[in-house]
Amino acid sequence: MELSRLSHWYGVGETRRQVLFDLDLVIPRGEVVFLMGPSGCGKTTILTLVGGLRSVQQGSVRVAGIELAGANEARLIANRRKCGFIFQAHNLHRSLTARENVRMGLEAQGRGLPPDADERSERMLAVVGLADHADKFQHQLSGGQRQRVAIARALVAEPPLILADEPTAALDKQTGHDVVALLRRVARERGMTVLMVTHDNRVLDFADRLLEMEDGRIVAARSGTAAAAPVNP
Amino acid sequence: MAIATAGVAFAVLLIFMQLGFMNMLFESAVMIHRRLNADIVLVSSTSRDFANPGTFPRSRLLQAVGVPGVADAEALYVTPREWIKQSETNRGERAQMLMIGVGPDFAAFRDPEIAAQLPLLVETGTALFDRKTRGNFIPFRQAIERGERPQTELGGRTVTLVGTMQIGSSFGSEGVLIVSDQTFFEFALNRVPSAPSVGLVNVVPNHDAAEVASAIRARFGAYDDTMVMTMEDFIEHSKGRMRRDSAISFVFTFGTIIGMIVGVVIVLEILSADVHDHLAEYATFKAMGFSNRALLGVVFEQSLILSVAGFVPGLLVSLGLYAVVRSALTMPIAMTAERLVLVFGLAVTMCALSGALAMRRVRKADPADVF
Repeated sequence: MELSRLSHWYGVGETRRQVLFDLDLVIPRGEVVFLMGPSGCGKTTILTLVGGLRSVQQGSVRVAGIELAGANEARLIANRRKCGFIFQAHNLHRSLTARENVRMGLEAQGRGLPPDADERSERMLAVVGLADHADKFQHQLSGGQRQRVAIARALVAEPPLILADEPTAALDKQTGHDVVALLRRVARERGMTVLMVTHDNRVLDFADRLLEMEDGRIVAARSGTAAAAPVNP
Repeated sequence: MAIATAGVAFAVLLIFMQLGFMNMLFESAVMIHRRLNADIVLVSSTSRDFANPGTFPRSRLLQAVGVPGVADAEALYVTPREWIKQSETNRGERAQMLMIGVGPDFAAFRDPEIAAQLPLLVETGTALFDRKTRGNFIPFRQAIERGERPQTELGGRTVTLVGTMQIGSSFGSEGVLIVSDQTFFEFALNRVPSAPSVGLVNVVPNHDAAEVASAIRARFGAYDDTMVMTMEDFIEHSKGRMRRDSAISFVFTFGTIIGMIVGVVIVLEILSADVHDHLAEYATFKAMGFSNRALLGVVFEQSLILSVAGFVPGLLVSLGLYAVVRSALTMPIAMTAERLVLVFGLAVTMCALSGALAMRRVRKADPADVF
């Protein structure tokens, strides 16, 4: 994943405001990168640009070698299918069971449901430790469990890139810790790249690299403590 | 969703009633046709329908009798006449009846009840009364059936009712009176035996009515004052005339369109609100990689479910109202398979249209909003 000379503005005319300034960033495949910084510094904007949820205005965003600057809707959708999104809120569909929610992640690939969709969904739920909760609805699950269902949904189609936006914001310390640990473990096992926005100091241990942003610029980068640890303990 | 279903049901009901009434008008115009004992019908080239048939030269009937395959040909005389009602609620009011004159020795009607009573009409000034005449005629009818021979005024003369039969009202007249041809000419002074209204032709068994009809047409040659039609063609002709010449089609088609618009507006309102409530979920789906088209499919599916859910209760209530109309107006209103299919199609179209409009909102859902 590669960003170069990326700038972005919000609003038009008098209220037009620049949120990203000439950003350069390269994340090699399989790296877990946390983006930190005060709110409004442009972290989430980077996620939406990389995920193809917004059109690139200036500069370049390449995901797995595909240029997103000037991409049409079809190319953006194709890019979204390569990304697993984990949101601040779990955004599960309330009328669907956990298994059905996870299955949506496969359905979103636009090729119809694979014949083994249910098995894959259940396997992914087992990976996040919810094998016994496949038939439960959102209101029957705790906050941490919901977020794990959301992770399963993001991962089930095995996307090369995971984009997470403060997935621990709504969780208590221990649950947040567990959720990020899980995310890291699964991503590592499958060689997925993770770009996660957080300002939760309690989970920083899990990053290979920490990037600090301020006012649309990356102001500091350091190796996370996880980088020193062995990949497969 | 209950409201949306009720909205669809209401629109379906409206459409069913409009189409039902429209068809009832057409059907009531040919109710008498269906009771006539004839394979082939002769009418004036200027004929509109049974109640306004015009006249044609009686000599055409004689010509028709000579055509191979024709068993017999007889004349029917038809005209609307005012009478003084003898119903319980409107005694003494004037109303339009359809007077049909027929030779008492000719089986012009299929109904054995009518055939059995035709000999009573040999006495001039007598008539058979239509039990299904609109209004409450029960005491009057009972008096006739007891043989009390009640009298009233028909076209300025006294008519004596000697029997009852059943045909039914149409929009043009409240009921039918059957009289002998002799009585007919007494009550309709402008009419003469040489100019009948409708010729009834029966074919010899095992002969095709359509072939015999063309043979008769050939016999008439250059005389284009008379139309020769099989009974089915005559029925279609009468309906077609009504469809083209009257405002009926326009009025009820208009009503049907209004029903559709009501349905679209209600369903659109509900669907839009529903889409709005779930905008976050739609945005999430988009972020996950669902294309607009896939999401539009969801909304379409929803509108399809709505159309089915609303169609069934709408249909049931319509059937109930049809029954009410049938008994209150003594007019033929019935559900047909074609109408069922048509209205279901309209309901689906209606919901799909609303769905399509509601989907513009889904299209606008911004996947970047979920962060």
